[in-house]
This record gives sequence, C-alpha cells and structure tokens, in this order.
Amino acid sequence: MSDLRLNRRQLLAAGAGLALTAYGASGCTVERPLDTSAAGDIVEPKIDGDLLIFNWAQYMDPAIKKEFGEKYGVEVNEVNFDNLEAMMVKLRSGGEYDLIFPSSEYVGRLRKEQLIRPFDRSQVKNAATVSPYFDGPWYDPNSEFSLPYTYYTTGIAWRTDKVDTMTESWNDMSNPEAFGKIFMLDDFQEGIGQANLLNGFYLNTAKPEELEVSKETLLEQKKGLRGFSTLTAQNLVSGSAWIQQAWNGDVVNARNQVSDPSIFRYQTCKEGVPVGTDAMSIPVTAKSPGTALLFIDWVLSPKNAYRNVMWNGYPQPVAGGREAFAKLVKDDPSIDVNLNELKGSSNEFRLDTPEARREWNRIWTEVKA
Amino acid sequence: MKSGSAFDKPRFLRVFTGLVYVFLFVPILVVIVFSFNSQKSLQVMDGISLRWYEDFFNDSTLRESLFISIEIALITMVVATVVGTALAIGLVRSRSRMAKGSNLLMLVPLVTPEIVAGISALLIFSQLGIGLSFWTIVLAHITFSISYVTIVVRGRLATIGIEIEDAARDLGASRLESVRLVLVPALWPAVVAAGLLVFALSFDDFVLSFFTTGEQSQPLPVRIWSMIRFGVSPTINAIGTLMMVVSISAVALAVMIPRFFGRRESGVKVLTGAEG
Amino acid sequence: MNAHRFWNWFLAPGTLWILVLFAAPLLLIFALSFGHVDDFGRGVYGFKLGNYDDVFNSTYLPVLLRSVGYALATMLICLAIGYPVAYYIARFGGRWRYVLLAALVIPFFVNYLVRTYAWVALLADEGLVNNAIVDLGLSDAPVQMINTPWAVIGGLVYGYIIFMILPLYGSIERMDQSVVEAGKDLYGSPLQTFIHVTIPATQAGILAGCVLVFLPSVGDFVSAQLLGGPDTYMVGNLIQDQFFAASNWPFGAALTMIMMLFLSVWMVLYLRRAAKGEAEVL
Repeated sequence: MSDLRLNRRQLLAAGAGLALTAYGASGCTVERPLDTSAAGDIVEPKIDGDLLIFNWAQYMDPAIKKEFGEKYGVEVNEVNFDNLEAMMVKLRSGGEYDLIFPSSEYVGRLRKEQLIRPFDRSQVKNAATVSPYFDGPWYDPNSEFSLPYTYYTTGIAWRTDKVDTMTESWNDMSNPEAFGKIFMLDDFQEGIGQANLLNGFYLNTAKPEELEVSKETLLEQKKGLRGFSTLTAQNLVSGSAWIQQAWNGDVVNARNQVSDPSIFRYQTCKEGVPVGTDAMSIPVTAKSPGTALLFIDWVLSPKNAYRNVMWNGYPQPVAGGREAFAKLVKDDPSIDVNLNELKGSSNEFRLDTPEARREWNRIWTEVKA
Repeated sequence: MKSGSAFDKPRFLRVFTGLVYVFLFVPILVVIVFSFNSQKSLQVMDGISLRWYEDFFNDSTLRESLFISIEIALITMVVATVVGTALAIGLVRSRSRMAKGSNLLMLVPLVTPEIVAGISALLIFSQLGIGLSFWTIVLAHITFSISYVTIVVRGRLATIGIEIEDAARDLGASRLESVRLVLVPALWPAVVAAGLLVFALSFDDFVLSFFTTGEQSQPLPVRIWSMIRFGVSPTINAIGTLMMVVSISAVALAVMIPRFFGRRESGVKVLTGAEG
Repeated sequence: MNAHRFWNWFLAPGTLWILVLFAAPLLLIFALSFGHVDDFGRGVYGFKLGNYDDVFNSTYLPVLLRSVGYALATMLICLAIGYPVAYYIARFGGRWRYVLLAALVIPFFVNYLVRTYAWVALLADEGLVNNAIVDLGLSDAPVQMINTPWAVIGGLVYGYIIFMILPLYGSIERMDQSVVEAGKDLYGSPLQTFIHVTIPATQAGILAGCVLVFLPSVGDFVSAQLLGGPDTYMVGNLIQDQFFAASNWPFGAALTMIMMLFLSVWMVLYLRRAAKGEAEVL
C-alpha cells in the first residue's frame, strides 16, 4: 500500500508541476529572440573567416566549394535542410550560418523578419551577367538582399513507355491511364498550387471558398496517387512513378541516370506554370558575411555556373549557367525555362499573410492525413 | 526430444530462423553490393568500382559529418557510461526513497518514442536560449543513453553479492574505496560493453539528432535524411557501408573485450543482460 | 557519511540529468500544447484548448488510429517471427548461440535510414525483386510492393524486431527446463504444453518485447515517409510536419501529448513490472 500512496503523491506533484509550467510560460515565445542588430549593416566582400553554407542536399557541386577553400585559404563547410520551414526553425533558434538558399518567397519573409543582411550588388563582379529579370524583383525591390542561384518550373514528368495520353494539363495528375502510379510533390505549395491552377484560381489564392474547392480537387486526385514524394528521379527511374509532378531540374537528373533518356518526358501545363527561384542570402547571424559574399561571386562566375548546372541539373540565370542548361535540355525543350514566362511573377509562390500560410498548411495537412 | 509440436522440431525452427536471417540480411547485402556499383543505378549492377567511396572522401562536408558522428558517439559513450554506471550502482545498493523514484524515472526514456525525446530536447534548448549545436546533440544523446547503460550494468551488478564489498570494508576500506577497488573492477566488462553499445546507438541515431542539430555539425544520419528526400545517389550506400564498418567494430569490441578480462561469459551475454 | 547519503550521491547525477533534460521538457510540451502561433509562425505559450479540439476532429483521429493499428500489426508480426527465432537460438543454438545472437544484432547497426531505403531499391516496380518475378514468369506485370500500408508495416518490423527477439531470448533461456518436462507429463501434447507452460513461463519476455516494439512503432515517421503511399500518413509524420514543415509547434505538442496518452497505458503496465524486476528490460 505504501507504494500506492507514493504514486499518488507523485501524481499530484506532477499535476501541480504541469499547471505551474503552463501558467509560468504563458505568453512567452518558444524561441528566444535573436540578436538582429547586424540587420542594417551592409556586407563588404572580404575574407573574414571560414564559411558555413546552409543549403538543400546535393544542390551544389562539391568541387566549387573545395576550390574556393583552396583559393582563399578558408574552410568551406555545408549543412543541409530538407524543407524551407525547417531552415527557418534552425535560423530562428540562432544557427550561425553564413550563406543560405531561400526561395524568392522566403527572401521576402526573411527580409521582413530582419534575418538577412543587405549587400551592394555592384561589388559582386559576376552579378553583372545575371538576367535582368532579377533586377529589383518583388521579393527584394532594391536588389540588396539576394542574388539568384537557380530558377525552375513545376510541371509533370512521365514515362513515355507507360503513358501516352498526356494533355499538357494539370488534369494529368489524375490521368486514368496511370491510376495508382502517380506521385505528387510532397510540398504544400506545389500541391495546393496546381489544384488552384486547375480550378482557374490565382496560384496563391487566399480566399477560403476557393481553397475549399481546391482541397476537394486534391482529395479527388489523392485517390489515384501512389504517394507524396520529392524523390522525382528515383521514382521515375525505379518504375514506381509513371506520372510525377516535378521540378524541371529533377527531370534532367532522371534523364542523366539511364541509357535511354527518351523514356522520360516533361510537360508544363496550360492552366499555368509555377515558376520559382532559389536565391542566395546572408543571414544576420553570419559569422563570416564577407567570405559569404565572395563565395556568392564565386558561384556566379561563368566557369562555376557552367559546371554546377551540369552537376545538379538546374538552370542558373548567369553567363555559363544558361549555356550549360541549353546543352542539357536540347533533346526536350519543354524542360527549359523561358525567363519571359517569369515576368510579372503572378506564378511565383508567395503567401503574403500569416493567415493564408496557416490556412494552406492546414489544408495540406488535412489532405495528407 | 519427442517431436509433435512445431516448437519441438528443430528442423522446422532451423528453416524458419534461417529465413528470418535472410530477411534481415538481404537489404544489408544490397547496400554493400551496390556501394561498389560502377553506374549510378540503384537497380542494376553494372560493374565494380570505388567511385562512390571516392565521392564520399572527396566531399569534405560528408567527411566532416562522419567525424562529427564519431565525436558525438565518443563523448556520449564516455559521459553516459560514467553517469549510467553510477546510477546502476546507486539503484542496486541504495534502499532510499530516491532510489525507487530514480528506478522508475530511468525506465521512462526507454519506453518513450524517440520523436517525443527529440521534441523535448528541442523545446528545452529553445526555452533556455541554448543555440542548437554540436553540444545540444551530445546532451540529447546522453540523456537517452544513460538508461541503456544503467540497465546493462545493473544486470551484471545483480550477480555480484554485496559480500565482497563488506569484506573490503572489514579490511579497512572506506565505502568509496570499496566501490573503486572492488565493485568497479568486477563491473568493468559490463561497463565496457554498455559503453560500446551506446557508441553504436548514438552513432546510428537519426531522430534525436534531427531535432537537435544546429549549425556546424550535421551527423551523418541527418545528412542521409536530407539526401534521401531529394535525388538519391549511390553514395548513400557507400556511407551506409562505412557506418556499418564503424558500428560493427564497436560492437565487436563490446563482444570481445570482456574476454580480455579473463571472463568466461561472452560479451553478447553481458549485453543482452542474460544472467550467468 | 551514512549509507543512504553515500548511495544517493551515485543516484544524483543520472537522476538529475534525466529529470532536467527529459522529464522537465515533457512539461514544456504539455504547456506548449495550449499555446498558439504568432504571425511569424513561432510558437507562443498560452491557455487555449483549441489544439486539442483539432486533434480530435475527424481528419486527424484516423491518423492516430492508423498509427496504433500499424504498430499493433508490427508488434504481432514481430512476436510471431521473433518467438520461434528466440526459441531456436535459446534452446537449440548450442555453442553457436552467441554467434547467432551477434548476427541478429549486426543488421540493426546499419543505419535505419539506409536499411529502409535499401528496401525501396529492392521492392520498387523495376527493382531487383520485381525484375526477378517478371523474369521468372511468376507475373506479367510488376507487383506493387512499396508505397502500401504493408510496406510501412514491413519497414517497422524490420526496424524494431530486434527489440522483440532479445527480451524473448532472455526469458526463454532462463526458463526452467524441468517445468516443461513436467508440463509434458501433465498435458501430454507438446502444443498444450507450449500453451500452458512455455508461454506463461516466458510472459515477462513477451510483455517486454511487445512494449518495446509497439511504443517506438507508434511514433515512427521514417518508414511511412520512405515506404508509404498516399494513405499511410502516421502520427509521427504528422508531428514531424508540424514542427518542421507547417510551423505549428503548439499543435504538434498537442498531438504529442495525445499520442503519449494513447501509449501511457502500455508504458505504465511495463514500468510497474519492470521496476519490480518482473519484466525483461532489453
């Protein structure tokens, strides 16, 4: 019996502890606020320490990092995220990264949260060849917080040996010929975005009634899906995917893995083509912002842009990068990105309010559940 | 032994057990074989080469991750072994109320899904304003490892009577001396085995590291995760094979070392808590 | 120094460590589960029950139930596979016993992610197994094996079966052989003996194995992510997404609390017996 009494006392203590913690912490944010005092200081390109890059996995040719390190006598290290929100989580919790690769939308968010630092583009020599599209884009009106790394479209890849009824429409995401063999990108914006386009809505619509319709579309499409996955190349090559919603660069990767690349085709869809940019930015917490800026310049050099595109399959909007990509996609021009299509930015992902972001996340979670 | 039920028939059991071992080892063989593939394919073996190992060793960030994983595992091993062994000794020798509570508390991490431990760690570090780093991973790993050490060491302790310590004290040793001079040497094989087990667990851990990893340091499993989410290259098989070599070396040491101490029981026995 | 105080010094570091870095943060999860998200997507502590309402809405409850279902299936399959193996090693392993045990442990130390991913290469539609099936003429078309619920369960079985076999092995090895012989005289048939004598005699191992497989399986998110299909989303994936994709930590915390509540019955059952030394621990 004494055991039991002890347990009850422990329970009571635990209960009191729970209540106290809940009360005491009420109103506090989970993370401590960051020191953003460096947010306004303009970064000067000079070597000021070793470099730490925070990027998607397998998104940059290791030789580019290695040679930069050898040339400037610094160590270049890289860590990876698998999702942009995860990148935000780590940044906010004080991660001292020198260089990050946010999408255009996230450049905007990071700028508003004062988490990235400005720099002077004219000090980045190789930025001169960047396509004019990236002068003063909507997410960085004064061109001071970012330079573009890659750009891409979202479309549909398919196996020509399995499917022959493609219609250049997002309707193909529920093509009966490939029922049960279709993969949707495991990305809330890509998933909801294509449903919005299919329904004739604005890509980034925040109207609840439109989002409800798109949710129904997604639930209908889900019946024919085999999964949600960003492993485009692997799904296509292993035969698991007959149809896969895909970023164009991954189709290049799939084609590079097989002896007969003609079995993989890619289409953009007539209802609308989501286009995106991954940019390079320097966080406020960077320890070596100057080195980071020099590295940005290094990445944009024609030679490095060329071999990086050959390595990861994604186009870069600078001299060298453009030529490399043209070479990669000469057999299937649909994979190419026409920068004129990017004009106007109405097909770039951007959720402008926290409410919209919450709503999109909620819908996506409910669709996946 | 008379036959009748399947459970008394070694032949049936032998075949069944054999099949289970096949099930366990086939994926491992696939990993090893394809790590030597000369092509990028994960389906077709096209010739033998070391290119994926070259890729691994040419990629300084992957190399760095390997070393970080080993460092984390080493520190975790040392700290968790010391703390866990002390806890085990205290649990078996003490009759205090605190011991009862500790006994229960110590078991909780073992039955908590790792994702909860990961979230716990992430929250406490964020709350205390401790930036995620190498050390947050180490702290989280140690927390989870203490219980394993305690259990392995306690299993051994149960077989050692208190008499030898009493004898030592009769000879004039203080309590601390009797622990240091008598108990610790007797426990040593189990301590070493537990330590290496923890090394292997920490080295292999993904979930805890995933939640607590910060800048500078990304253990290999976390990097594998981000690689697996986007274009997989066969480098992953080379990494898997290399990690296996490291882990198995640790486990092999765990199994072998008790023998060096002249004990007849094998390390596996100590590790699985089987009592002699 | 009296004995109490002396031994408490041994207990203190480990106990404190687990209290501060493990038990206290559980309180934080609890507190956060009543919180909300600010405009930047950061979690804020507060007093809001809404997160719990959300957990129990018709969308998320199936995810919880599905996870428990998968974990139960995993547990039963592990038991069905693990018992004969543990029995064979313990009773008929002879001098190879420890070699067999060590061989069991080896695959377990290949990284879980890499191991699971190897199944993708093996079982994909144009993977090694399906190519063999088609080449041998067993089937005209590849059989879809991955991206199914069974693939997820298979991945879990593969990931956690070691936690079933080891405790089972321990209790079978320790079982008093003379009791089995006596049981044979009493019940006659070996099957009856097995049911009435062997199983009760090894129930400590069965309990430990079941708990140690069931609990981590419920919270797993790797297997469903790598091997799952559109309808295999588990609570682990849901929680993980709340923390690292949807930026809704409070909701993730509420989900975690509810999951723990689901599991607590098992945990308490196990803890009570293990604390008394009646259950195998590993």
